[in-house]
Amino acid sequence: MSEKLTKVGFTNLSKVLYPAVKATKARVVEYYIKIAPKLLPALADRPLVLTRFPEGVEKEGFYEKNAPQGTPEWVRTFTRYSETAKRSIHYIMCNDLDTLLWLANLAALEIHVTLSSAEDAFLKPDLVLFDIDPKPPATFDDVIEVALQLKLELDALGLKSFAKTSGKKGLHVVIPIVPRYTFLETRTFAREIGRKLEKQLPVVTSEFSRQPRPGVVFMDYLQNSHGKTMACPYSLRATPQATVSTPLEWSQLKKGLKPEDFNMFSVVLIKEDPWEGFSDIKQKLEVNQK
Amino acid sequence: MGRFLRHQTKTGGEPKIANEKTVRVPKRPIWTGTITIGLVNVPVKLYRMIFERGFSFRFLHEQDGQPLKYQKVCTKDNLVVPWEDTVRGYEVSKNEFIVFTKEELEAAKPESDRKIRLNKFVDFYSIDPIYFETTYILAPDKNPEAYTLLLKALEKTEKAAAGTITLRTKEYPAIVQAHKGVLILNTLRYGYELADPSKLDELKKLKEPSKDELDLAAKIVGDLSGEFNIDEYEDAYKQKIEDLIEKKLKGETIVVEKPEVKEEAKELMAALKQTLEQLKKK
Repeated sequence: MSEKLTKVGFTNLSKVLYPAVKATKARVVEYYIKIAPKLLPALADRPLVLTRFPEGVEKEGFYEKNAPQGTPEWVRTFTRYSETAKRSIHYIMCNDLDTLLWLANLAALEIHVTLSSAEDAFLKPDLVLFDIDPKPPATFDDVIEVALQLKLELDALGLKSFAKTSGKKGLHVVIPIVPRYTFLETRTFAREIGRKLEKQLPVVTSEFSRQPRPGVVFMDYLQNSHGKTMACPYSLRATPQATVSTPLEWSQLKKGLKPEDFNMFSVVLIKEDPWEGFSDIKQKLEVNQK
Repeated sequence: MGRFLRHQTKTGGEPKIANEKTVRVPKRPIWTGTITIGLVNVPVKLYRMIFERGFSFRFLHEQDGQPLKYQKVCTKDNLVVPWEDTVRGYEVSKNEFIVFTKEELEAAKPESDRKIRLNKFVDFYSIDPIYFETTYILAPDKNPEAYTLLLKALEKTEKAAAGTITLRTKEYPAIVQAHKGVLILNTLRYGYELADPSKLDELKKLKEPSKDELDLAAKIVGDLSGEFNIDEYEDAYKQKIEDLIEKKLKGETIVVEKPEVKEEAKELMAALKQTLEQLKKK
């Protein structure tokens, strides 16, 4: 690489990582290059958790919380002592294109972010996440119905919310907030809303039970906890079709929408960014408001 | 790829896999003799303790897969010279040799009187590890009571015994110490076998770091401090070769990984340029 456009030296570019759609690591790197202008703002200053698939999505991948051996010195990390793991975790942060390309070269297909920023704000979430997940035979159409009802509720509270496909079966609805509440508070908020929806739509269940009934749409408020992560907007997922966790306009959420249509190949063709300005919005959350 | 497998099964019977995790047990002593400390004699057998486990490959003839051997060839006429016709030469200057016959060298060999002479008891940790060369196991021979007595005495006093041993043609400084309930012997290097680092130009003008830098470095050292555990280390090359051997034994074809595919990298660079421009505009 004579021109030195990046500090990253790519390796094994011809390795097939998504066999079903015949996508090599070169295609993965290319995807992340092209999506970077939209993806980087969503990653900024957030500790990351990676899911790496060096042998492709049909072989087992592994989670990586800790910056791996051989992490270049120019990659920023955020070190925090984990009470549960009883050791310091050196989270990777991705604030620039080089780091993103380095991640892509590691076959870190899935990039997950914490719901809070690094440093002092780590215990104060700046996102509330509604993770809406169908239990078959419930379908994506059911998920859309729940999400639209959720939007009505949030609108009524004056809260601007953003929707994206999870990249798998469900949807994520996210509210950007000022980082001044605790996870207990955001969790309580998500739980209250979940309960409300439970009453309005029989298909919804918001309580975690050991085996969610089949056919329900599960709203997991527990995702709003310290240390939990969500797939970053525009992160690839380790699915056969190389799906992407894709930000959507609310107006796009209509019955018949297929989450697998949003993949490595199609998402880069979308011009607009439905989540534009997302990272600049900081809303107040009035937890006790009904 | 994998096409010489037939030779392996032909000569070896059960194919050997180098993937042994446990450390080897030495089969026979490489030396037997006596430890002498003053008037005390302790008969011992010396076993290898160090087994370097890198990989040794045999050279084969590519066409027929047969092993190759080395021969001594005269540099003048390229004829193979048999062992009986060889003498040793010490090169005093370029292409000028002083000749020694085998008999002369044999006569000059140090008298290997099969003695480990120990004459001083020292604090083991006072010895700079840089002098340590290799380690042998000392096992009792004939008079195990004397062996146990020396072992227990060293354990009790927490001392190591220093002296000399002659192995083949070389006399070594040696340290005998108690280690996990047995006696072991370390041969040491002579002081003159070490380079003097202070003579290196790069090391003559080292600047003092600032206090802040030093504090930060010390903090990192603190953060990363822990117990040393040798089992945390693995030879990645060895592991890789072992995996390849197993694959080849199963008849799989090995695809050599290329570090970088030129064409593909070029394509990516075009996309990268675009993105960099886009990011600049923001």
